[in-house]
Amino acid sequence: MDVKLFEKLFQQQLISETELEKITVQQQAPVSVHWDVRTLLYLGIVLLTTGLGIVVYKNIDTVGHDIMIIVIAFACLVCFAYCLKKSKGYSNKRIESPNIWFDYVLLLGCLLLLTFVAYIQYQYNVFGNRLGMATFIPMVILFVTAYYFDHLGVLSLAITNLAAWAGISATPLQVLENNDFNNDQIIYTGLVLGLGLVAISFLSKNRNIKEHFAFTYKNFGAHLLFISCLAAMFYFENIYLVWFAVLAGICFFFFKNALKENSFYFLVITLLYAYIGLSYVVIELLFLAGDGIGAVYLGLIYFIASGIGLIRMFIQYNKILKRNVSI
Amino acid sequence: MSAYNTSDLYNKYVQEQASDAFHTKCISAETHEHILLQHESHLYIPNYFIRIGSALLTIVCILFSGLLLGLLFVNSDELGFFILYIFLAGISYGALELLVKQKKYYNAGVDNILMLSILSFIIGAFFIEDFSDQYLVAAFISMLICFWFCKRFTDSFMAILCYLSGFLFLFLLYTRFGTFAKATAPVMLMAVSAAVFFVMKNAYKKADTIFYKPSLRAVMLLALITFYVCGNYFVVKELSNQMFDLQLGLRDTIPMGWLFWIFTAIIPPAYIFYGIKNKDLLFIRTGLLLIAVTIFTVRYYYSVLDVEVAMVVAGVILIAISYTLIRYLKTPKYGFTFANTGYAAKDMLNAEALIVAQTFGEKATVDSGVQFGGGSSGGGGATGSF
Repeated sequence: MDVKLFEKLFQQQLISETELEKITVQQQAPVSVHWDVRTLLYLGIVLLTTGLGIVVYKNIDTVGHDIMIIVIAFACLVCFAYCLKKSKGYSNKRIESPNIWFDYVLLLGCLLLLTFVAYIQYQYNVFGNRLGMATFIPMVILFVTAYYFDHLGVLSLAITNLAAWAGISATPLQVLENNDFNNDQIIYTGLVLGLGLVAISFLSKNRNIKEHFAFTYKNFGAHLLFISCLAAMFYFENIYLVWFAVLAGICFFFFKNALKENSFYFLVITLLYAYIGLSYVVIELLFLAGDGIGAVYLGLIYFIASGIGLIRMFIQYNKILKRNVSI
Repeated sequence: MSAYNTSDLYNKYVQEQASDAFHTKCISAETHEHILLQHESHLYIPNYFIRIGSALLTIVCILFSGLLLGLLFVNSDELGFFILYIFLAGISYGALELLVKQKKYYNAGVDNILMLSILSFIIGAFFIEDFSDQYLVAAFISMLICFWFCKRFTDSFMAILCYLSGFLFLFLLYTRFGTFAKATAPVMLMAVSAAVFFVMKNAYKKADTIFYKPSLRAVMLLALITFYVCGNYFVVKELSNQMFDLQLGLRDTIPMGWLFWIFTAIIPPAYIFYGIKNKDLLFIRTGLLLIAVTIFTVRYYYSVLDVEVAMVVAGVILIAISYTLIRYLKTPKYGFTFANTGYAAKDMLNAEALIVAQTFGEKATVDSGVQFGGGSSGGGGATGSF
């Protein structure tokens, strides 16, 4: 903080003497390296686990599968035992973690669990041809873990696993890359899953069951829902206007909700997804109306005008939404 | 010189400082409110997400405006494109001045993208046709434009680009003065970085630069990095290899190679040490990052360990260091503490959840991919099995 500035504010009698004193003392206060150390720790864990994974993978012939499976299972059990011992028990409210290591140990345990299940299926074909079970069981355990120990990271793992169980990749940056949206089954699955996640988000909020999980559910759900809806527009070319109507309905709902909850984040993504849908319809209609250079010019003018229009809309809603620190 | 009203900028600065003081519980809520009311800023500084959205839409607008004008007026000859680029830059600058003067846009996404697009159009105009000293001229022009933008619109990203293009310009200019210049280029540029750093540091303390504090800080950080980069063995060796066409192998060394190894090894710990001594997180974080670069540099020439073993070792060391620090800094020591005094904790946790899903989520899905016994990769291919 700029002490000179506060001295000036003191002269203008905007702050009291004790406040100025507090600010001067604050200058001497210790610097917090909380997030720096946490980042280092996180990096260390990622490096260690990835490195160990590669070492094991390369030496699998000398170590032997059985021993590996036992070691992984044992390590996994140790992690969960530690967490059970330290945990304060389940609550519908947010639980502060007992210590800094707790969250990481829990995450490690969950990752080991996933590896363990994949390993025994690969090696011994435990689940046989009922492949769904091999994702279903870890998914259930992950959800129970996330709720019992109150861990947002495990919750997002659980949601990605739920999506994988349904047949969709929901890893944030690979949603578009890994899913083949030219397939009606994927589109329908995405729609149902997205709707389900959004519904759970509202349930958590209204029933006060782990209210702070609501954002994660809603975030995954909203993106899945919007992307699936857009994909449906592009895929079912004959009835794209019907799907546009569906998209418009969903956008309207999220828009109203964002205004209600003062969420800039959901306001912006809703408007952007709506804009993509609208632009698709406009371009389709333009080329239906006429071909040739005229349609191209009109299309370009549409993009310029609509872009400016949407920016103006952002500005307007930036004023309307109350300024708050939440996303 | 600034396009903004100075009282707006000053009030914004006071507001930020007051909010800082409020969040660290130095001033009461009433005082905070009172200061905010007394220092009303008319700048339009939208929410972070609105900025990103506006920036994306601005890119759409500029792109399609360019296409439209190009279709209407240009018959694909080089002069035509040159005029088009300059014309587009002119329009963009007009729009920028208008938005800043009339609507007081400040880091609103739109103005940032407009500045970038003006720069790209003008630089692009210089690359339509090849001519000698193209890069030298382009770097010089870019430096001037960015300096003007930084000064007029108090923009730190433009300050960064200004420093980088100035640095490139100096490098290109200096290395034309023969072999001696080429050989001494690294040391010269290190001296320039150091000089820039100290000039910026002095300017940072002065009262009349408060609106440019973020810009100065950004350039300081960059000067620290370029100081290291110019002394880095890998950079020096590979660049001299290119410039003198030496055809050096992996193990061949350069003249004065030992000196650059010393720079590579000493600068990052020195930054960290200085940072700890002066309680300056900028130095500590930069130093930590550069240690990683140093490790990569050493590994490039002398790979002692296999990658996976190196990862395990590095992981263990990092965990050990963090463990020790967490234990050690439980009660504040030497002016550092592990306690979380920031007020962005909630957002950080949400962000952490996303990072976990990104780094480990992929593994989880790939694992399930294995179970489908040779099905095509990723979740998409797996659907058929259900």
